[in-house]
Amino acid sequence: MQNYRLLTPTLLAVATLAACGTMSENSRLNEARNDYTAAQNNPQVVSLAPGELRQADDALAKANAAAKKSENAEVITHLAYVAKQRVAIAQETARQKAAETAITNAGIERDRLRLESRTAEAESAQRQAQTSQQQAQASQQNAAASMQQAEKSQQSAEAAQRDAQDLAKKSSALELSAEASLHAAAIAREQADIAQQQARQSELRTAQMETQLKELNAKKTERGLVITLGDVLFDTNKSDLKTGANRSLKKLADFLKKYPDRQAEIEGYTDSTGNPEHNKDLSERRANAVRASLLRMGIGPDRLTTRGFGPESPVASNDTSAGRQMNRRVEIIVSDEVADTDVSAR
Amino acid sequence: MKNISDQQRFRMISGMGFAALVIAGCASIPPPNEQMAVSKVAVTNATSAGGNEFASGEMRAAHDKLDRAGQAMVSEDYKNARLLAEEAEVDAQLAATKARSAKAQQAAATVQEDSRVLRNELDRRTHQSQ
Repeated sequence: MQNYRLLTPTLLAVATLAACGTMSENSRLNEARNDYTAAQNNPQVVSLAPGELRQADDALAKANAAAKKSENAEVITHLAYVAKQRVAIAQETARQKAAETAITNAGIERDRLRLESRTAEAESAQRQAQTSQQQAQASQQNAAASMQQAEKSQQSAEAAQRDAQDLAKKSSALELSAEASLHAAAIAREQADIAQQQARQSELRTAQMETQLKELNAKKTERGLVITLGDVLFDTNKSDLKTGANRSLKKLADFLKKYPDRQAEIEGYTDSTGNPEHNKDLSERRANAVRASLLRMGIGPDRLTTRGFGPESPVASNDTSAGRQMNRRVEIIVSDEVADTDVSAR
Repeated sequence: MKNISDQQRFRMISGMGFAALVIAGCASIPPPNEQMAVSKVAVTNATSAGGNEFASGEMRAAHDKLDRAGQAMVSEDYKNARLLAEEAEVDAQLAATKARSAKAQQAAATVQEDSRVLRNELDRRTHQSQ
């Protein structure tokens, strides 16, 4: 027990002695020194927190000085603590500065990136603008093409209209031609009417002629109309026309006047009595007498031809006086048409 | 036992002598009013810098030491008051520096992340537009 009683003040005295610095080694001071050495070897701290490092150095120098002067351990510990904290401040300041530098650099980087982004946006916008422009050009081309198509459509429409007009013209022309045809048809009808009338007239004339020819005792033969004038016109062996013959010849003259395009061949015949040459001559003279009489009645000489056949072509027997009388005759052959001028060939 | 008693006696005498010297020295130290003010300002600055959030240990130490320094001032233990006040100052300064450093590092991380995102976006856009 006595030992313990003695021990307590002894320990106190030891502690006091230690605090007073007789003990060169202070754990806190060692920590501070080690920390300072580490900070000094850190280039970031050296470059970014030189002021704080200097303060730490000062604080450490004070602590070292206190330790060297073997000052109160409490004071040395205190100074060592302050130095240690100063080193920590220097290191933390260096970290802060590094972070601030990083912020600045990041800001610069961010600005650069933003610029890049803007540039990219601008380029993108430019590309979009180019694309839009190309699209616009394409649209314009499309529009032009559409317009051309529209023009073509219009042209084709116009062409169609023209065609329609042409068709209309043609149809009107057709109408016109139809009208013309109708007109022509009308004309043709008229002409047909006229022709019919003419036909009727000619029929009428033919009928009249036939009536007249009947009166003249005309007979239709292959050679044409044959009018026989009996020997009642002439005395025996004479070629002078009797007075009574004039009436019959007058009818013939009227007929020839009415149909001026007809020719007449006058043929004289005798009976077989007497000299044949004489008879032929007699027959010629009788024919000429008829011709002369017709000429006097106003018939053109070019329409009348004469021929004497003598006793040829008897129409009855010469054995009887009645037959001979029938053979003494003048036949007038009236041609059917003007063109039939080949009378003399018969 | 006798040897130990002699040693003890010597150490006691010498230790008491030193203690008397120390006490005598302490008694002659003037009140560290200036240091107290400086330490208070340091603690205030550290608080406003966000020391409580980013360096809670240092801040607690600073507050504790400042309080004890104030108590030492009251009890006119000016030597301890100075020592505590000085330690409170460096603790507060370290807390403030740590807070500022942490904030700066956070900001740096944010900005670097922004840059990274921006770069990725830019790369993506560049790839897209190609």
